[in-house]
Amino acid sequence: MKAPEIGSWHRTSPFAILFFIGRILRLITKNAWQSLAPLFALLVAYQGDLVSKITLAGSAFAIVVTAASILSYWFFRFQLLDDSILIRQGVIKKKQLDIKFERIQGINTQQNIVYRYLGLVTVTFDTAGSADSEGNLPAVTEAFAKSLRSQISVGGHSEDSEEADEAIPSAPLVHLDWRDMIRIGLADRRALLIFAVAGPLFERFEENAERAIADTVAMAAGYGLEIDTGNGIWIGIAAVLILIVLLLLLSIGAAFLRFHDFQLFLDRRTLRSHGGLLTRHEYSMDLSKIQTLRLQQGIVQRWLGRFRMTARQAISGGREGKKKVFDIPVVTATLADQLRPQLLGPEGGALTQDPRSDVFAPVSPYYMRSRILFMGVLPALVVTLVIWPELGASSLAFLLWIPAVAALAYQNWRRAGYLHDDNELVRRSGLLGYRTVGLLFRKIQRVSITQSRYQRGKNLASLRMYMASGSVRVPYIDYATAQQLRDYILYKVESSDKTWH
Amino acid sequence: MFQNPEIDLDTLPGVDQLEWQGLHPAFKARLRANFAIVLAIVAVAISIPTILAGLPVLVAVSLWSALALVVAALMGWPAIAVPRRGYVVRDKDIVFRSGVLWRSVTAIPFNRIQHVETSSDPLDRKFDLATLQLFTAGGSGGDLKIDGLGKDVAEQLRAYILKKVGASIESA
Repeated sequence: MKAPEIGSWHRTSPFAILFFIGRILRLITKNAWQSLAPLFALLVAYQGDLVSKITLAGSAFAIVVTAASILSYWFFRFQLLDDSILIRQGVIKKKQLDIKFERIQGINTQQNIVYRYLGLVTVTFDTAGSADSEGNLPAVTEAFAKSLRSQISVGGHSEDSEEADEAIPSAPLVHLDWRDMIRIGLADRRALLIFAVAGPLFERFEENAERAIADTVAMAAGYGLEIDTGNGIWIGIAAVLILIVLLLLLSIGAAFLRFHDFQLFLDRRTLRSHGGLLTRHEYSMDLSKIQTLRLQQGIVQRWLGRFRMTARQAISGGREGKKKVFDIPVVTATLADQLRPQLLGPEGGALTQDPRSDVFAPVSPYYMRSRILFMGVLPALVVTLVIWPELGASSLAFLLWIPAVAALAYQNWRRAGYLHDDNELVRRSGLLGYRTVGLLFRKIQRVSITQSRYQRGKNLASLRMYMASGSVRVPYIDYATAQQLRDYILYKVESSDKTWH
Repeated sequence: MFQNPEIDLDTLPGVDQLEWQGLHPAFKARLRANFAIVLAIVAVAISIPTILAGLPVLVAVSLWSALALVVAALMGWPAIAVPRRGYVVRDKDIVFRSGVLWRSVTAIPFNRIQHVETSSDPLDRKFDLATLQLFTAGGSGGDLKIDGLGKDVAEQLRAYILKKVGASIESA
């Protein structure tokens, strides 16, 4: 495909049909039953044996999907203008998208294995509009995607684009290797679930499985095999272990697929990452779009001494808006603190986001009290009283809920904290792991101070800062501090000459 | 010339000694009317089994007395909650307070407002009231709703805020 000229309609490469097949299949899986209903009707109506029924259904399905994809491709056209891109699509219902360059927050590309051989990519425009008005350009050349990117990132001045190309730095800020893939795989929440499931499994195993194994052994003995019970248990444990290892391998494999050779670049004011084994994903985000910077650490990541860092953009698309996140899957705390000034600079980035740092100011210990009271004492008392007539004294066991909640509340309080300087604030929270969120005062949308009756008595308050990416709450701090912070935030918002987006 | 004066935190304007503007007096009646409609539906729902199925006296009495308690609480509530709500329009922002047990004070700078909306449902119109909604970026958490304003006040506020929002965009 030649580089499209400005002001005329173009089709993308015919390989875009692959993209449309993928899209249609995804649509079908989402609304599976509705979409497949006609096919089922056909299947039932057709008189014949099962194999031919399935063959017929399969080929009908393939034909319909392919035909729909070809039609989608045929009716998909785009036009490049000076300050926007027009996309016309739709077979029956025509749709025209007009994406203004200034509204584009980032240009992401995806390259599956077929496209990689052909030098094609699928471009996705990340816009501040609603999710369904988002534009895709399937199967365009890499060169075109690159020129589009430089044209848009410099505000439509195409004459600057060559300079921008030259300015691409050679050294990545972050480069993940195979060890990081293993870390991502292990830290995956699904892997955590496996640990959680496996724990009680081991305990139960000894009680329940022993009998089952004894039965199996007896049965095997009946067939002339000799297995003693000890061996049987070991075989069982080995089976569970193998299962866990397999699932972990699966999780690590997924990490390789998604993040293999992950590299992060800072190209002037644009953050760019690419990675992936088969399908290569390339994401970009303008630094000025970053609303909050998060550093997260689950239990496994704590054990590995690593964090996940995410930069969040403004939520788009109203109430059900989706969160837009730029992901750096593995970093150390030191690396994260090195990245901060580059991402939040020049005015921010001086603070640390390392949760283990002792510079965080604690929140009031009264924070624990309301949690213990409302989530611990009250429910436990109510349940105990309600169950008492039925169970008698054994219902007192429900009171054990109180120390459990108290322990969690204590842990939660220890994790809570905040620190700030003249330009930014970092809040720390967590229960088992840690999470720190950093934000620039000038990007705050609105700010509120809330006080419960109890907080009023203790002269405490909770400060909530609403960002375009969601809100950040600093709970149970001194009322005067909260007020001072609020007034300072309003001053910063008003006096800053930079826009928040 | 670039200037970077030091800011004395104590001299920053606070929102604590503000003269809060109350909501429209008819808002209490409007809230009660709203509650009354809901309660009437609940009362009908309770009376059907009481009359038709002949509920045991004890159950019926406790149901009705529970309803009476709820009626008393809901009818009394606006008198407590409405005076606690209020707003102040300042030069650079609008501040809104609400809450009886959990009190909150929210400030929205004009230069963060994306758009402004006034609306009134049939009940609002009956009492000549309107709701003003201020939208900032950031999805669901991003809007502030001030209900129970007089219709003319809501319109005035809307016009004033739009003017302010426009001015802040121009100066940016």
